[in-house]
Amino acid sequence: MEVVVNLAMRTWVRALCLLALAPAMAFAQAAPQAQSSQPAGNASNVWFVAGGAFATLRGDCQTCEDDYPYRHASAVLADVGYRTNPRMDVGVELFWMPIDTAQGNIRTTHVDAVAQFRPWASHGFFLKGGAGMAFVRNWVDTLSTDSFNSKALSVIIGGGWVFRPAARLGLQLFATQHALALGDLQSAQGEIPDVIGNRWSVGAGFVIR
Amino acid sequence: MHNIEFEPPKLRRVAIVMLGSMLWGVSLCAAQSTQEAPPPDADGPPTTLADQIAGLTAASFSQTPGQPSWIAERRACEGCPPRSVGRALFQTTIVNVFYGLANLVRGQVTARVTPKTWWANMEQGWVWDLDDFTVNQIGHPYQGNNYFNTGRANGLSFYESAAVAAFGSSTWEYFGETNHASLNDFINTTLGGIALGEMFHRAAWLVRDTHATGSGRTWREIGATALDPITGVNRFIRGDASRVTEKPADMVPSDLDASGAAGVLWRGTQDSAFTADPQAYLEVDAVYGDPEKGRSRTPYDAFAVRLRFGGGSSLSEARVRGRLLGQPLKNGKVQFSVLQSYDYQKNDAYATGSQSFDGAFGFAKNMSSTTRFLVLGWGGLTVLGAIDSLPLGLTEVPQEEATGEGGQGVSEGPRFYDYGPGSDFGVTAIFSRNNRPFTTLFYEGRHIYSLDGVRANHFLQRGRIDLLLPLKGAFGAGVTGEYFDRRTFYQDAAHSRTNYHYPQIRFYATWRLS
Repeated sequence: MEVVVNLAMRTWVRALCLLALAPAMAFAQAAPQAQSSQPAGNASNVWFVAGGAFATLRGDCQTCEDDYPYRHASAVLADVGYRTNPRMDVGVELFWMPIDTAQGNIRTTHVDAVAQFRPWASHGFFLKGGAGMAFVRNWVDTLSTDSFNSKALSVIIGGGWVFRPAARLGLQLFATQHALALGDLQSAQGEIPDVIGNRWSVGAGFVIR
Repeated sequence: MHNIEFEPPKLRRVAIVMLGSMLWGVSLCAAQSTQEAPPPDADGPPTTLADQIAGLTAASFSQTPGQPSWIAERRACEGCPPRSVGRALFQTTIVNVFYGLANLVRGQVTARVTPKTWWANMEQGWVWDLDDFTVNQIGHPYQGNNYFNTGRANGLSFYESAAVAAFGSSTWEYFGETNHASLNDFINTTLGGIALGEMFHRAAWLVRDTHATGSGRTWREIGATALDPITGVNRFIRGDASRVTEKPADMVPSDLDASGAAGVLWRGTQDSAFTADPQAYLEVDAVYGDPEKGRSRTPYDAFAVRLRFGGGSSLSEARVRGRLLGQPLKNGKVQFSVLQSYDYQKNDAYATGSQSFDGAFGFAKNMSSTTRFLVLGWGGLTVLGAIDSLPLGLTEVPQEEATGEGGQGVSEGPRFYDYGPGSDFGVTAIFSRNNRPFTTLFYEGRHIYSLDGVRANHFLQRGRIDLLLPLKGAFGAGVTGEYFDRRTFYQDAAHSRTNYHYPQIRFYATWRLS
């Protein structure tokens, strides 16, 4: 278990180091000129992202004394949106992550309104933020074959780098953190109150403009 | 439960290096000249003078002889600040350091940050915090306004500055305090900071007279600095505070209307219609720009503000409602707007606050040559709402014992208000004569689904009628009746419900300020 966790942490730290260095990398490049709001080439103002991520999730109860574990799983995401100007994209993001627990399975779908901001228009570095809802389906095998469904407030922050940001097809690497304010979560031992889940993800996606 | 060893020393060192490199990256941004072009306009034809200026600037950015020097200084217009993303991010970090030092001076234990606390906060992620209502609903939005205005003061657009506010808020939550990053603070600081920030930024530009010179000019700049300290300090440092220029075109409102009211109010409960003791208050209402018409893609070119001092609390109401987008429909007969709202109400009977986004439809009709009728309806989403509440079985909020261990301003709970998202809707009708309202009807409903605190659905309703009698000149007298109703639907086995209502009546003198 520890080996898995340490590997995950190393991946995490490396990705965050890259992210942390991004401003410096951006400055080390040639100065941009004024941009048109229209992307270069045949690219349109509509953008799509489809990709996958490796995610770590930890649900925590603020009023409990239990030490809840970090759980790891893969996730997929899709974005659709509109480039409002060379520095700003707005859109909707769908992020889906199934995760096995000791008691069953939890599937979470985040639907967030997101804004993506590129401080330097011609470079790939971007910051991302948004909020929306998360839909949680929680199977507790010992209690029921049906899932316990609940809705949660979802907040996302993150950043990343897009390669070929103005081209029709690009690639992005990202690191994000989702907060999942759930309220109560059903477990085999009973209902856990005041649960907030935190999900850290690193991943990649194809960008189509 | 697994007890996972999660902090190998090597990883911790890497994390420290990572944080150092983050700060280094930001400081590098500030140290270097960014050589960025001013932001180009959005798609479509330029709709405002500011858009046209930005477009002109972008088109001619590679300076040729004979062009004004402000283009080379990366200003979008002569009176605009020079654009620098790096400086904005660096100043946001400075704002964080400033607040951190201020908390240290106040003796707050939460200000004793170290790389170890940073790492602990990153490991934990977001939580709900236990701070006082005023700290979370007023203090954090005000702090967010400072972050936002580091962007505005350095030539960034509204939306770019919004991203800077989110950057400042998240870095504060993770690295500015020892307690874990608070989700409610992040939302309130970012969204409240955007609303208050743009309102203060534009209000400060109303105070400045960029054509004036001498001490009168200086005092105006100082007054503007009191409203928007970040832009003000930047202007003094850059020498813009004494330069004679035109004002940025998009900082000049198409219209401006403000009024003040001073009077007394009586508030009641369901037990007694009105309390015996009157409470004095002072209220300021302002409408910036013309929210009723026009195609607009310039955020906050029209907004409304209400501030009430006294009346049950030192600041009992603050409300900012800014237009993000305006679009006339049906040949201008109907106006559609997208609005951002910041709300705060706190008095001796109830406390509520929210950050929300609404779509609104407005319709105006001239009933005669002097009398006009306007109706506005809206509905939307509340990203995060707060409402004071009691757990079932309690009838009174227990007094929190001051332990003194956390230092001034640090609350260790429990917290007697709930947080959650929700929805809102409302309608207002205004009858005016000679452009002066004489009757206003207002209704607003808000639903908050509590995710933290007492598990319940809250439904809040507020109705208000203002009757105003114009007297001589700008002066008038008025009476307002208000009714606040809150229903709480607990999610307990018995589906318990509570209902509180607070009628209110106000008598006041009013005067028009513009």
